[in-house]
Amino acid sequence: MTTEEVDGAVYEVFRQEKDGDPMRHAGNLVAPDPELALHYAREFYSRRGESHRLWVVPRAAIGVVDDPDLLRPPLDRSFKKPGGYVMRDKLEEARRRAAEDHP
Amino acid sequence: MTLPGAWPAELTVDALPPLGQLLLSLADDEFVIGFWDSEWTGIAPMLEEDVAMSSLAQDEIGHARLFYDELARLTATDADAIAFGRPMGDFRHARLLDHPRTDWAFTVARRYLYETADAVRLEALVASSNAPVAEGVAKIRREERYHLMHVDAWLRRLAVGQGEGRAKLDDALRRLGPEASSVFAPLPGEEELVRDGVIAASLADLYGTWTGVVGPVMRELRLPFDPIPPTTGGRGPDHGPDFAWLWTEFTSVARSEQGARW
Repeated sequence: MTTEEVDGAVYEVFRQEKDGDPMRHAGNLVAPDPELALHYAREFYSRRGESHRLWVVPRAAIGVVDDPDLLRPPLDRSFKKPGGYVMRDKLEEARRRAAEDHP
Repeated sequence: MTLPGAWPAELTVDALPPLGQLLLSLADDEFVIGFWDSEWTGIAPMLEEDVAMSSLAQDEIGHARLFYDELARLTATDADAIAFGRPMGDFRHARLLDHPRTDWAFTVARRYLYETADAVRLEALVASSNAPVAEGVAKIRREERYHLMHVDAWLRRLAVGQGEGRAKLDDALRRLGPEASSVFAPLPGEEELVRDGVIAASLADLYGTWTGVVGPVMRELRLPFDPIPPTTGGRGPDHGPDFAWLWTEFTSVARSEQGARW
């Protein structure tokens, strides 16, 4: 059985295991309409009672950003990271000067 | 799991008390529709529906087990003996369930007629004076809610579609319509169950409730629906050649070596 034989769309399913947990991507399925997509999601991802909540999203509704120029440009970004900006030497210098000004 | 022993020869289903008759009718209905619908495993219209239908079929057999367990307690036997050790003629499921799965539209039509009837029947049992029945039914109804949603989605889908699906659905409903009321066929000793509050109303009254639920949906979708009031012949003992095949199938392992363990 291939998806080509079926009049349907792909739905991505997100699942929450316990109340308060983050929604995690569980997988996807093909369904002929959004209502049956909910039923199939329930069968695929909680027929053994393993989910607290499901989100069922048409794949077509998902906006995708995967352009490396947008996500990982080839420039030094270290100054945007908290760990990339080394304060230690500057702090020592500032303390030394402060001690000289007010001995 | 232990394979069943034989159904005790001295135990005839007709001799069961009214509560036993009720449990047997509930259990046999769920058991038989579960086995018919499991015949879709591997060949349902699409992979997702294959998983869904197989899971639904398992649910039904799970519900049957609950009622068989309770009947086993009453008759000092075990659920497997009742399910797999009983002769064909001792099954008391509704006439509606004597047909094979046939095509997808037929399965949808039958599931719709059966599940709506079962829902009305379960509602009349949820406040049963018999505590095990009330508790079991409360659990089963939570699962049947989803079964109803699933089959309602399919009925509407086939009804609004043009062409083959709609034509096959019409045919199936015309064929099954007159048999659907067999779910409400009168049970031996039923008056006693109503009097004792085991069931909230007579099966004839529940049939009336059911036509009031299903009639408007069928009219809305312009689908054929010509039910006839239930009669005593609605639950066997003669179930015809299709059920004979199914019985041979689902008892084949149990019959191959009685008392074997695995």
